[in-house]
Amino acid sequence: MRFNRDRNWLAKRADQEDQHFISVGGLISQVDPAWQADVSSMPDVETTRTAFVRLLQLARRERRLSLEQLAQKADVDLAELVKIEAAEEFTPTLRTIHQLASFLSLPAKKLMALAGLLQVKDPSLQQASVRFAARSEPVEDVSPEEHAALEEYVKFLNEQ
Amino acid sequence: MNPKRTMTLNLTDQEMSVLDELSVQKDLSKTALIRQALRLYQMVDARISRGEKLFFEDQAKQKAELMVL
Amino acid sequence: MREAVPIIDNASGELVDADIFDEVTLAHFIETQAEWRPIVLAAARALSQKPNQGILIPRHFHWDWTRKEAELKLLAVRFYGVAYEGQLQGIMKVETVAHTCRLPEQQGKPLVYIDYIEVAPWNIKVLMTAMGQPQRFRAVGTRLFEAAVQQSLEEDFRGRLGLHALPGSEGFYINECGMTPVGRDPHKENLLWCEFTPEQAERYLSGE
Repeated sequence: MRFNRDRNWLAKRADQEDQHFISVGGLISQVDPAWQADVSSMPDVETTRTAFVRLLQLARRERRLSLEQLAQKADVDLAELVKIEAAEEFTPTLRTIHQLASFLSLPAKKLMALAGLLQVKDPSLQQASVRFAARSEPVEDVSPEEHAALEEYVKFLNEQ
Repeated sequence: MNPKRTMTLNLTDQEMSVLDELSVQKDLSKTALIRQALRLYQMVDARISRGEKLFFEDQAKQKAELMVL
Repeated sequence: MREAVPIIDNASGELVDADIFDEVTLAHFIETQAEWRPIVLAAARALSQKPNQGILIPRHFHWDWTRKEAELKLLAVRFYGVAYEGQLQGIMKVETVAHTCRLPEQQGKPLVYIDYIEVAPWNIKVLMTAMGQPQRFRAVGTRLFEAAVQQSLEEDFRGRLGLHALPGSEGFYINECGMTPVGRDPHKENLLWCEFTPEQAERYLSGE
């Protein structure tokens, strides 16, 4: 196939595409109340998101890093890190997840699932996340119990 | 596209004539037309094999079954 | 079929080579939908919280993939994907026998019908802006559409193309791509049937 390789042509087409939804028969849906129900009927995301935040907090404190230091070392946006740890209803960016995964030596896909960016049918992930979240608390020092919980969770995530 | 193989087609005069006519009508080469015919045949056959039925509907909305297995 | 095709990396503005191929499997498709869906939902939620931006989000169509496995093996069907470093960035399903031209000047002639085209949510500017995130790649949808036109040329259909435009995308296909709006189709939820003549297809490919 002979695709048009002219930069100007592509830039013009990209500009046009950017101003529209071009999908035919796709996933893009109408925003209406029925939809909202669909979104909120994903309780798993709440739990795994909590585990995700807790995981970040503990991992950071284990390494004795402040938010600024973590942001610098993992090469992520500090403002975004603050929002994530504040456990607001915030969707982290794909890039941030990848960076954090890399820094923490965790599989990116699993982290994406925890953060709610990926839908994964994995009941064991749900269970492990609930257990971990229950055994950890957002306090200053990492207790031995928390340390053990963290180790176990990290080990689990790295399996499979 | 995918690599192609050559086949010789032996058609009667009448068949050739139909092929010519349809090619002109559809603005297609004869090869492309035969290819379309093959695809259509495969698609129809697949659906009928699954238990579906193929109908024609005339202007008066009368249905007549076209193909039965 | 598998070829390299340049798309635009949004961060750098540079052209990067993606792969376009025509053998997306059903499994791959389902996996992709599972990956894209939460992001689309999150973006839609974000969009709904902002006051009316004058942007119409197209209606949802559930592509019933439960019986599609067999369909994907038909000669008449081709399922394209654009991937970057192994990750799908956009997909498209086209079909060549169930639809023909409706414009009077080319009535009944064969065309390539775009049954389904979708770009990954992280490449859709409107969605990413709503989430306060940058777009990853640009022109992915363009490359898929271009591939459909190219297939039409290869098939000897002279560039003839047809599709049912979702409400939010009518403007794109008519004004930007230059397709002719033929009429609303009562058999397809009153969606607008849009069609390319050979001349229009040629103009699209060359950029006028």
